[in-house]
Amino acid sequence: MAAKVNNSIRFSSLFTSKDVICQTTETDRNQLLKQMLTQLALVRGIGDVEEAYQALLERENEIPTVVGPGIAMPHVRLSAINQITVGIATSQKGIKYAPQIEKPVKLIIMTLVPKVAPGAYLQAMSSLAKICQDPKTADIVAELDTAKKVWDFFDQSGMTLKEHLRASDIMSPVTIKLQEHDTLERAIDLFVHHQVRDVPVVDKDGNLMGVVTTHELLKICLPDYILWVEDLTPIINFEPFAEILRKESKTWLAEIMTMDYATVAEDAPAAQVAKEFAKQRVDHAYVLRGKTLTGVVSLAMFLNKILRE
Amino acid sequence: MLIMLAVSFGVGVLTHVLKLNNQQIISCSVFIMVIMATLLFWEYRLPIAFLGIGVLVGTNVLTLPIFIRECKLDVILFLVGMMVIVGVLKDLGLFTWIIQSVIKTPRMTGPMFVVIIIFLAALMACTIDEVTSIVFIATLIFQVCDTLKVRPLPFIIIAVLGTNIGSSGTMLGNPVGILIGQNATPPLSFIDFMTWSFPIMLITLVSSMFVLLWWYRKEINLLSERLFARREMNLGLGPLVNVPYKRGLAIFAGMICFIALHHYLERGLGLGPNTVLIVAPLVIAGLLMLWRHQRARHYIESNVDWWTLLFFMMLFAKAGTLQETHVTEKIAGYFQQAFGNRLSVLTPAVIGISALGSAFVDNIVFAAAFMPVVNKLQQTPLLWALLQGTCLGGNITMIGSTANIVALGMLEKRYRCSIKFFEWLKVGLVVGVVSCIIAWGCLSITSRYMPTLQQRLQRATLHVKTPHLTEPEIARSIKANETLH
Repeated sequence: MAAKVNNSIRFSSLFTSKDVICQTTETDRNQLLKQMLTQLALVRGIGDVEEAYQALLERENEIPTVVGPGIAMPHVRLSAINQITVGIATSQKGIKYAPQIEKPVKLIIMTLVPKVAPGAYLQAMSSLAKICQDPKTADIVAELDTAKKVWDFFDQSGMTLKEHLRASDIMSPVTIKLQEHDTLERAIDLFVHHQVRDVPVVDKDGNLMGVVTTHELLKICLPDYILWVEDLTPIINFEPFAEILRKESKTWLAEIMTMDYATVAEDAPAAQVAKEFAKQRVDHAYVLRGKTLTGVVSLAMFLNKILRE
Repeated sequence: MLIMLAVSFGVGVLTHVLKLNNQQIISCSVFIMVIMATLLFWEYRLPIAFLGIGVLVGTNVLTLPIFIRECKLDVILFLVGMMVIVGVLKDLGLFTWIIQSVIKTPRMTGPMFVVIIIFLAALMACTIDEVTSIVFIATLIFQVCDTLKVRPLPFIIIAVLGTNIGSSGTMLGNPVGILIGQNATPPLSFIDFMTWSFPIMLITLVSSMFVLLWWYRKEINLLSERLFARREMNLGLGPLVNVPYKRGLAIFAGMICFIALHHYLERGLGLGPNTVLIVAPLVIAGLLMLWRHQRARHYIESNVDWWTLLFFMMLFAKAGTLQETHVTEKIAGYFQQAFGNRLSVLTPAVIGISALGSAFVDNIVFAAAFMPVVNKLQQTPLLWALLQGTCLGGNITMIGSTANIVALGMLEKRYRCSIKFFEWLKVGLVVGVVSCIIAWGCLSITSRYMPTLQQRLQRATLHVKTPHLTEPEIARSIKANETLH
């Protein structure tokens, strides 16, 4: 049974020392993964091992889940289990995890999540975020010579699964943004080069001022009163767009940005993000700490993370 | 629902005290129920109106022949024709051209913008209809305010007030106009409206404009500053395209001329009063739909507001039962007892009561109920007083007129903001009172020049080609017309 601390589940309660393969000599990733699944099946019962193995391989071959320096977190959803199951393997020499990953992986944290538990993997991953970012973690754990010591490491680190996912757990950093003094010209360049549909506008302090969207741009080029005309002749050569091009370097973002966008607080439950997507029918929700823009959640990414990861 | 039942019950008790018979009590109660439904359950007004007809027919207060006669199919078909024409004009780019003409006005200032929107709203409400007018003017306001980043609410209110005032200018602008014009005894013509109502509309419009220019001076000044700043940057208020507007303009001008000359056409063809007026929009709509046959179905299905028209039909039928059960006669009698026969008292009374009534009840509802009362009083100026009162009263509250509700709905949808009841009431009351007083003054001056009921009846009989009518036959014809209407 998962141990709770202040309504959060301790990560160490999701596995025991019996679920740990300590300092393995196996060098092949696939074989090691199969070994871990077999061990978990023996200890806990996880249903069809071969089916789980194939699903795991398919995912890892597509996108290897190396989450930190020397740390991999392969995961799979299974119908046969009803709670999160964790298996751990360490390797002193490290394993070549994927062709594109240069650094050998020394710590593998395999997470099996119930199929009907959306976000469970993300909860597990978010609880390990801190140790995953430490470059020494993989080396330290790989040097522990007994399964009990490995278990103690995770137990003493105090990692807990939060009661629920938060917006900050599923957001991505904002890499494309505009400054409030930018013009429409810069916005159009970003739309075209990065193939995005909306770009946030921030002030010098990083506070979110508004969002410039391709939809708003289209509305400026083709406002309602032009759309009333059924005959296309007045716009057949894109005359309204020519107008915009003439003035793009003089048009401030304040004129075209919209205040109609979805935001969630960093520490809001991830379900709040879902609610904003549904209520406002948007593709992106911006994550704020106060007024400062800290991240973005796209609907596609959200669905992928909750329903498939 | 409880409030509705309580009000209806209260009306029932009151009508019993006033010694109305059972049929009269039922017709009053159902009519009041529909009014309360309009106030409290706006989205369900049509289903409630349907049920009301069922109650009236089920209790034998209303028979089917009377229902068919009283639902004013002539008014409904007139509106259908107008709605189709508006759809065609929109497709042809006429309204786009009008909006672009405003947007590209050189050296635009805040006050100039207000003058333009108030006059444009009024004139469009005069010639097309108030709802179409406010939809187009609101689009113009949103475009300008979005570009300049100013609050659109004050300008929307200005446009709505102008629309309601303008809709009293002709019988085209507001269903109230065509209802009063068509159901007066004898019917009023387009020329009558241009002679006796349009000038009053212009005077009230100008005076209301000055009130509004002062009331919203801060917002108008801000608009001026933003317009100036934008001009300095050599930027316009919106994209401009070369719209082929001439066909739309020609159709629009042709429609107005056709309708304006209906009186002469009817006389020449020996048709009854307002026959050409009612049928003209249908004929024009038919021709337009033949020309643009690919879009004909779209115009009928999407441009004609069947929901509203069906509601009007049910409402008119219910108002007709008040007349059939002689409730309106009794009310007219009490009215005369209370206010006498003197126009100097009756005119402000009708303006005041109809303004106050239509402030809280949709003006078409009030006009439908009060029209038979005014007819019974048999004084021509009172018809104009009813028109002015119901149109101008629609400005007093935010629920007074369909144009108000449509405009505020558009504002809420676009900006997710709404206006409080008293915020509107402050400016609406001032404009409403000022315009009603001016209308009263104008009617007091012009009433002595208006034709009397007998003169209008005589003129109406001259429509029909009967060169060999003797005087007794003319007199019988007058009486027959009176009975018919």
